[in-house]
Parts: sequence; structure tokens; C-alpha cells
Amino acid sequence: MLRHVTNRIFGQGLRSPTAPAPLRMYHERVVDHYNNPRNVGSFDKNDPNVGTGLVGAPACGDVMKLQIRVDDESGKIVDACFKTFGCGSAIASSSVATEWVKGKQMEEVLSIKNTEIAKHLSLPPVKLHCSMLAEDAIKAAVKDYEKKRPKSDDAPLEKATGA
Amino acid sequence: MEQTTHLQSSDDFAQRKTEKEIRVALRGPKENHSILGVTAQKYHCWNCGANAENSTQFLFCEACRSVQPVNESTDYFQIFGLGREYKVKVEELEKKYKDWQKKLHPDLVHSKSQREREYAAEQSARVIDAYRTLTDPLSRAIYLVKLEGVLVNEEERITDPELLAEVMELREAVDEAEGTRALNEIQVQLQEKLRYWSNSFEDAYLNKNYDDALASIRRMTYYKRANEEIVKKL
Repeated sequence: MLRHVTNRIFGQGLRSPTAPAPLRMYHERVVDHYNNPRNVGSFDKNDPNVGTGLVGAPACGDVMKLQIRVDDESGKIVDACFKTFGCGSAIASSSVATEWVKGKQMEEVLSIKNTEIAKHLSLPPVKLHCSMLAEDAIKAAVKDYEKKRPKSDDAPLEKATGA
Repeated sequence: MEQTTHLQSSDDFAQRKTEKEIRVALRGPKENHSILGVTAQKYHCWNCGANAENSTQFLFCEACRSVQPVNESTDYFQIFGLGREYKVKVEELEKKYKDWQKKLHPDLVHSKSQREREYAAEQSARVIDAYRTLTDPLSRAIYLVKLEGVLVNEEERITDPELLAEVMELREAVDEAEGTRALNEIQVQLQEKLRYWSNSFEDAYLNKNYDDALASIRRMTYYKRANEEIVKKL
């Protein structure tokens, strides 16, 4: 499988530069995330500090779960994990996402763009939607966490005005 | 490139022969009826100019027997003499595929001109595509709605919690299953689900409910993927 693809950009096989069909090449970062996955796992989705984002790409048969553990007081994401069934690009995108959300504020991670993930992994155009899936998963995880929180925690301003 | 065919006496004969064939076919078995019910575009032989709306001209010209180029307006069902229906008899498909292989056999074509050999190669490729598409229930479903102008979005993303939770659980079960017995158990359940959603697709398709048809396709894709993973492990 991917193990047979060398770490350099040039994948298996010696195709001439004029070969019409694009070679399926995985950037070394994608291969790295596939061979050395970070943060694979599961948190208890019933834990009030856990937000779970569950998204899918049905045409590929992909499903992606990204979870965050949030510190109530600071609103900081202290831990993250993922489980993805799909292609190498989908797995790598969600792996990168878990790395990037750790240590950040929830509002901050909402601005993580799929294009940044895609650029980091040198995803070809046909795999761009995998990075979109990861962006969706981050947003869904944050949304899920916030759904569990009582409203008053979201707005410190309201507290200040004694509402 | 419509040209008026100046019918010589031999072409006249070819034309009348074709008309007779059409009349015979109309009286013939239901199968032929459906070929003519969905006509391919009006078609002229590149070699002798003979007309035919009959898809038997699909491969050879009835009049001069020269190999014809692929007619893109003939859909995959027509190639196998089937109506546009979801349920197909796989044994029938196989038999017709073998018939096509005989017709397109290299030995029968090798004495023909370069141009015709190229046409034969294209025809062969199309028959193979058609066969592969129609034998698999999922690709057949996708093709059927495509013929109605409904395309599956290759990059669609969904958040349906029920469906995704089920798929997640399924994929995890496959991942963690140890041994043939456990995998076969999951496979049995999967086949059941595939059958259910296959029927669901057919209902939706017959009622022209393309939203439901696409939903069935989504499900079938997920279950098929899971099955592929099981097959890999077995």
C-alpha cells in the first residue's frame, strides 16, 4: 500500500514525464501521517468537556471523527484525537487538524481553513475535499461542545452586566 | 453532417431490408421492442451511406458489413438489448457479453481495414465499460440516474449523525474483527443492508424520487466500502 511509496515525491514506477495519466503520488507529509499517525483514538463523547465532530464524504465512503477536550475555564483545547476511515489524504488531513487545534482557543480553531491543511500536505485538486472534511470536523466538534455548555458560559459580557 | 442519400437500386434494397427488419422486430419478442422504443439517433453508414435506426447497425452496417464507429447516443442498456431498468439478470448480461466478445473477436476483424480495426477496438472498449457498469448494482444505480440527468456529487460532505454513527461503528467493527467467522458475520449483515437499500433505490427510481434515489446510493456506497475492507481482511 502506501508503504511501497517512497518518501520522496516520485512514487513507484518509472513513468516517462509525458505519461498522460497522473501518477497517484502522496506527498511525504501524507505518508508520514499515515505511517506515524498522531492522536488516533477516542474520548468519551458523553464527557461534558468533550466535543465530537462526525462528518463524512459519501461518494468516497469516508467517515471522519474528530474530538476535542476543552478546559472549561480557559476555553482552551487541551487535547484532541481523531478516527478516520478513508483515503490517505483524509487520514492525514484529520491528523493534521488534531495537531493544529491542540493548545488553541475554540474561537481560534474556527478560522483554520481547509486550504491551509491542503497546502501543508500538498494535496492535489482531486483531494481538496478531504481537507474540507477536516475543516468541517473541527467546526462540528466545537459546535458539539458548545451545545453541551449552558448558555451563560458563552458570554462573559452578560456576566459583567449582571444578566 | 446530414447528407441526402441518393438511393441506387442496391441501396434501395438495403433500405427496404432495414424497414422490413424493423417491422419484424416490432412483432418480435419484447426485448427487441424496447430497443426500438428508445431509438438511437438516425445513423448513416460511413462506407455505403445506408440508413438505419435499428441498433443492430451498432457494430456492423447491415448493408455492407463494415465496422461502424461507436455511437455515443446508444446507452449501455441498449448495447445489451435491455430496457432502462434497475433489476437485471446477471446471467443474461454475461451471455450477451460473451456474444459481443465473439462478434468483436480479433480473428473476425483482422482482415478489415485499419480504420475498421480502430472502430472495433473502440466498440470493444465501450462494451467492456457497459458490462462492468451494469453488472455491479451500485454503478448500475449511479448510471441509471445519470441517464436521467441526475449526477452524484463526488465531493459531497454530510453531517447526518445517524448514518455516520452507524458507518463509524461498522468500520470499527470490521477493523477490530478477528478471524474469518467474525468477518463473515458482519458480511452477512452487510449483504442484508445492501439488499434493503438496493430495493429502496429501485422504488425511488421508479417513482422518479431522485433525492431518495441518491440517499440510497449514499448508503450503498458506504456499505460497499465496508465490504471491500472485509474482503481485504479475509
